[in-house]
Amino acid sequence: MSPNLSIVLLAVGLPFVAAVVTPFLFRVLGEHTGYAGALVALTTFVLLGSQFGADGTVALSWIPTLEVALRFTVDGWALLFALFASGIGVLIFLYSPAYMHGESGLIRYYAALLTFMGSVVGVALAADLIALFLFWELTSLSSFVLIGFYTADDSSQYAARMSMLVTVGGGLFLLVGLLLLASVAGDVLGGSAFDLAAILANADEMQAALRDRGLFVPVLAMIAVGAATKSAQVPVHFWLPNAMAAPTPVSAFLHSATMVKVGVYLLGRLRPLLVSHEWTLLFATLGLATMTICAILAVAATDIKELLAYSTASHLGLMVAGFGFASAVGAEAGVFHLFNHALFKAALFLVAGIVAHEAGTRRIDDLGGLRHDLPVTAAVTTVAALSMAGIPPFNGFYSKELLFEATVEAAHELGTIGWLYPAVAAFASIFTVLYSLRFLGLFFGSRPDELGDVHRPPVTMLLPPALLAAVAAVVSVDPELAVRTIVQSAVDVTATEAHEMHVGLPTSLSPAVGMSAVAIGVGAAAYPSYDRLHRGVRSIPAAVPPIGANWWYDAVVGGLDGASTRVANRVHDGHLRTYATWTFTTTCVLALAGFAAAHVAIPTTVALDVSLAIALVLLVAVVATLAVAIAPTHVTGVLTLSILGFMVAIVYILASAPDLALTQLVVETLVLLIFLLVIEELPTYPGGELATPTVGRDAAVSALVGVTAFLTIVLTTDARPEGATSSARYYVQNAVDEGGGTNVVNVILVDFRGFDTMGELIVVSIAAISVLTLLVMRSRGESE
Amino acid sequence: MTGVVVAPMLVALVTAVVTLLLRRRVRTRVVVSVAGGLGYALAVAALCWQVVLAPDAPGIATYQVGDWPAPYGITLVADGLSAFMLAMVATVAVAATVFSARYVPSSERRTFYHPLFHFLLLGVTGSFLTGDLFNLFVWFEVMLMSSYVFVAFYGGPLHTRAAFWYVSLNLVASAVFLVAVGGLYATVGTLNMADMARRLAEPAAYGIDARPTVGLLALLLSVFALKAGLVPFQFWIPTAYRAAPPPVTALLAAASKKVGIYAIVRVSFTVFADAAVVVRLPWIEPTTPLAFVGAVLFVMATGSILVGGLGAIDRDSIEGVLAYSSIGQVGFIAVPVAIAATTTAPELRRFAILAALVYALNHSLAKGLLFLAAGTVRHATGTIYFDGLGGLARHFPTLSGTFLLGALSLVGIPPLSGFFGKFLVFDAAVRADASAVIALLLVGSLLTIAYATRAWNRGFWGARSPAVEDATIDPVQVAVLVALALVILAVGVGFDPIYRFADAAAGAALDAETYVDAVAPRGGESG
Repeated sequence: MSPNLSIVLLAVGLPFVAAVVTPFLFRVLGEHTGYAGALVALTTFVLLGSQFGADGTVALSWIPTLEVALRFTVDGWALLFALFASGIGVLIFLYSPAYMHGESGLIRYYAALLTFMGSVVGVALAADLIALFLFWELTSLSSFVLIGFYTADDSSQYAARMSMLVTVGGGLFLLVGLLLLASVAGDVLGGSAFDLAAILANADEMQAALRDRGLFVPVLAMIAVGAATKSAQVPVHFWLPNAMAAPTPVSAFLHSATMVKVGVYLLGRLRPLLVSHEWTLLFATLGLATMTICAILAVAATDIKELLAYSTASHLGLMVAGFGFASAVGAEAGVFHLFNHALFKAALFLVAGIVAHEAGTRRIDDLGGLRHDLPVTAAVTTVAALSMAGIPPFNGFYSKELLFEATVEAAHELGTIGWLYPAVAAFASIFTVLYSLRFLGLFFGSRPDELGDVHRPPVTMLLPPALLAAVAAVVSVDPELAVRTIVQSAVDVTATEAHEMHVGLPTSLSPAVGMSAVAIGVGAAAYPSYDRLHRGVRSIPAAVPPIGANWWYDAVVGGLDGASTRVANRVHDGHLRTYATWTFTTTCVLALAGFAAAHVAIPTTVALDVSLAIALVLLVAVVATLAVAIAPTHVTGVLTLSILGFMVAIVYILASAPDLALTQLVVETLVLLIFLLVIEELPTYPGGELATPTVGRDAAVSALVGVTAFLTIVLTTDARPEGATSSARYYVQNAVDEGGGTNVVNVILVDFRGFDTMGELIVVSIAAISVLTLLVMRSRGESE
Repeated sequence: MTGVVVAPMLVALVTAVVTLLLRRRVRTRVVVSVAGGLGYALAVAALCWQVVLAPDAPGIATYQVGDWPAPYGITLVADGLSAFMLAMVATVAVAATVFSARYVPSSERRTFYHPLFHFLLLGVTGSFLTGDLFNLFVWFEVMLMSSYVFVAFYGGPLHTRAAFWYVSLNLVASAVFLVAVGGLYATVGTLNMADMARRLAEPAAYGIDARPTVGLLALLLSVFALKAGLVPFQFWIPTAYRAAPPPVTALLAAASKKVGIYAIVRVSFTVFADAAVVVRLPWIEPTTPLAFVGAVLFVMATGSILVGGLGAIDRDSIEGVLAYSSIGQVGFIAVPVAIAATTTAPELRRFAILAALVYALNHSLAKGLLFLAAGTVRHATGTIYFDGLGGLARHFPTLSGTFLLGALSLVGIPPLSGFFGKFLVFDAAVRADASAVIALLLVGSLLTIAYATRAWNRGFWGARSPAVEDATIDPVQVAVLVALALVILAVGVGFDPIYRFADAAAGAALDAETYVDAVAPRGGESG
């Protein structure tokens, strides 16, 4: 069965439409807008469900010239992710009204949540590189808005900007990776460079072509940065714990179940294309490192949401590592753990929301023994937390076993050094068991005396996590059901070879079973000394700040702020002298470089047939120029400057251009008069106070300008062809007959090129206006 | 057909003169000004349609002023490139005119705000349409003089100083421009750009020595870089952009700056692309003057992206951030132009120019929107300093939403117009196989995210300040912002026609032959 375009478009588009009309919905429904959102999510879920079993790609043309289209692929992997996004979306929208009761800014909240849901469904189904990137970025954007929901809160702002910098910044790398991919795809596939479905259909040719062009590693690296930033892998995992500044339903939805999994999802999608030795080395290592480091950091957490955030990053690492291994079981681990994690972690976040809401605190140390107050929640937590810990027979156990199997398989292939993979995976799992038990401990053990009244949560808040836990319980009892329903078909998409997947409780002792036993055994044994471990891990970043990732972020971003001011003040130091120096020097250097690059012929013989009169006049002009530079006061400066101007006028006279000379004389006289009139108002002349280096620099710049101007004139007049230009001949020939004037210059000014004159007249008028404006504004004493 | 070429200039000129004459009638003046803005947009639309977009459009049209034949008279040329630039400017100009009507208080209105505004528009339009190098100088002057008044408009110490710097540096550029134009006339024997392109392609046939023109081209490049605000010619921008009234700054950023870019593209690619001059640069084979332009632009673009992007992060006011951002963004526009100048593959050259044009379009729309939004903030709260702001998002969601959209478009979030600018520029770098350029673009884009988010956090989120508390907002101003925001969204969502328009513009910029044929300069072979 091939997918139905209209249904797919409706499923993706509906949340966006709903987001646009949220303000109107809110006006009618108020805080109940969440239930409308749940309805939208449910509709999307049903629409997507109707495509269950479909397999194929549909497209709606978007930018035909670039062959960019809204292409959507429906297959097991896409449906798995999209159904999760919309299904958990239903629960989040149900949960939100009670949790967000009394908050302001709910329009923004619901609009962003709906946009987000549409975007994730879009990412899941996208089969076009540009469309994929579009939805990818929209998830980051809605995440930014939602993390910053408490706008007046500093930590929200801090975290929102951090997530934007990391995820959108990572998105840029992804964009480059996708463009590199497209540049190769254009050649391999002939046209339709952005068609992801076609690229994946020709995975082998594509990989070979990428390697031929030497682009395989760059593409892999760029996409890895994109996926790792989105999915909070080490060393950019730090944004995720900070993102907990968002309201808890957002954390459950975006920052555990869906948005952060987008990176993992993409890896699964591109796995058949890019899987290789490099791929395994990169992602298995990255994933296991993240899994370990974040599991350890989760033990150091003091806040229940912080614990869950680090745990999420750790589990994302598990999925990345799973996809990293080239074997089929690796893909199974990635897909099935994504499935399981979405169930138990979303449930746990919603539980955390209930606890925070009803107990009024999220500090781990202040909580305990909540099972008496929140019995149903405690039951939910038990299922979810044990699943998170990977305790059989809970669902998290099965997928973790798959990862262990994949690590062992890889170790067999790689030899001795490869045994690090299973060792690290088992080591990380010890901490997973530890923090999972600690979370469960909130509900058991003794109830701290300081803990006040804890109310029962409303049904709409209890139902969503209970449903998730129920599904998790079903999967725990019959994991093969999940495999048959959807997981197997998703694995088939992400794996390179067909492999029938089997999960269940172990019946024989295998290395993987041994690893689980070790992790659970050591974890349980170490649990009594949890507090010591907790303090121990906490003390490390305190002692060595650079180990804490926030430290790096703060150092870089804070450093940028400082650098910003330094650069701005250094470059724009407020002295026109500096600006003029740069402007003059660059202009001259560029011109000289241009002349040099073209290998101009420097005239060796300069014709010196100037008359004595001209030579004298020019000499006076040169002397006057020097005198201007060293004039001690404004008045002498202006007077000597006018000597220069009058000498130029004399040159015009000697060159038989009386009209030019007249103009020059008038201008010169006027300028002199005006100068003398305003000089009174000017501050005293700074001459003589300049430091020697400044004077030296100014002299050098002046000399450079002089040389450049001189050279330009010499070169261009030297290159000038003999005789008049064709324009000049035309003007002379046509001035009288066509232009009706005997003075050719005048005819040029008012007729041949009268348009220039009109423009200059406007300039003069504006100059007059500018004087008036300045005077008027000044006399009114107005400022902005 | 030819009348439509000159129509936008006429509308701007007539509007400027009429508003100038209506000194005492404040209300009529504003009405005329807004009508003139709309009329200008209509004239530009007619030009774009008739010359480029209509199914049977010729792609290029000329107007010989005074009916003097080229190259003796002055030629106005409207081709795809000019039309694209005009359409971009007209969009922002309409928004800025309507905004001005509500923004400029009546006491100031009685001075010369509106006529100057349309004179500025006239200068910009003339620069885009003229086919004559000296005439380009004239329209540059018109642009400079009117913008000078605007920088000094409020008459405070900051404004006076900004205006002094602005006019000083621009006068240097004007003098350099004159030297270059004079030198080119002396060397090539013409001022008409089509004629010049023709002569430079075959210097021997016209008996000229084209070698000195590379140095003159370098001088022109400096002048245009100063107009565009590329490092190291950007010094006037931070103060001038903060001093001028926001609607004018919107126009300066959206239009005047683009004139610089346009002039670089026009002169480099239409006039100098086929110039038969051998240029020798270190480390590479002997090449054409374009390679020289490319090398220079790369350096300038790198400086601009780094100085602008870094500088913008920690400014103390919205307009300060936007001004520095303009320095950085113009670097992003210069990068693909540099790629186009460096490559010898015609397809990549066209694509890179297209990328530059789309990026320029987004910068005009987004920066226009952002400067107008900053104006609204100032109008409502009386300040644009982050210290006095905070909490705008809660208090004025629509205003803040448009600002966020503009900022996101700068960052390049799809499906806004900014995404396609960024996408195409990155793609041009990828196609050029230039990993250093990709790295530069990545760093620049990260800086863009850094300053956009910081400005947003400081101004729009955070605790509500007293200034924001007491503010009232002008609904018409907000409507203008919303309209521009919708344009940014529409350009991205319906990108295909924009792409084709930009492609036609890039094709026109590179098609010197058609340009020369359309202008059809007379003149013999004897120089």
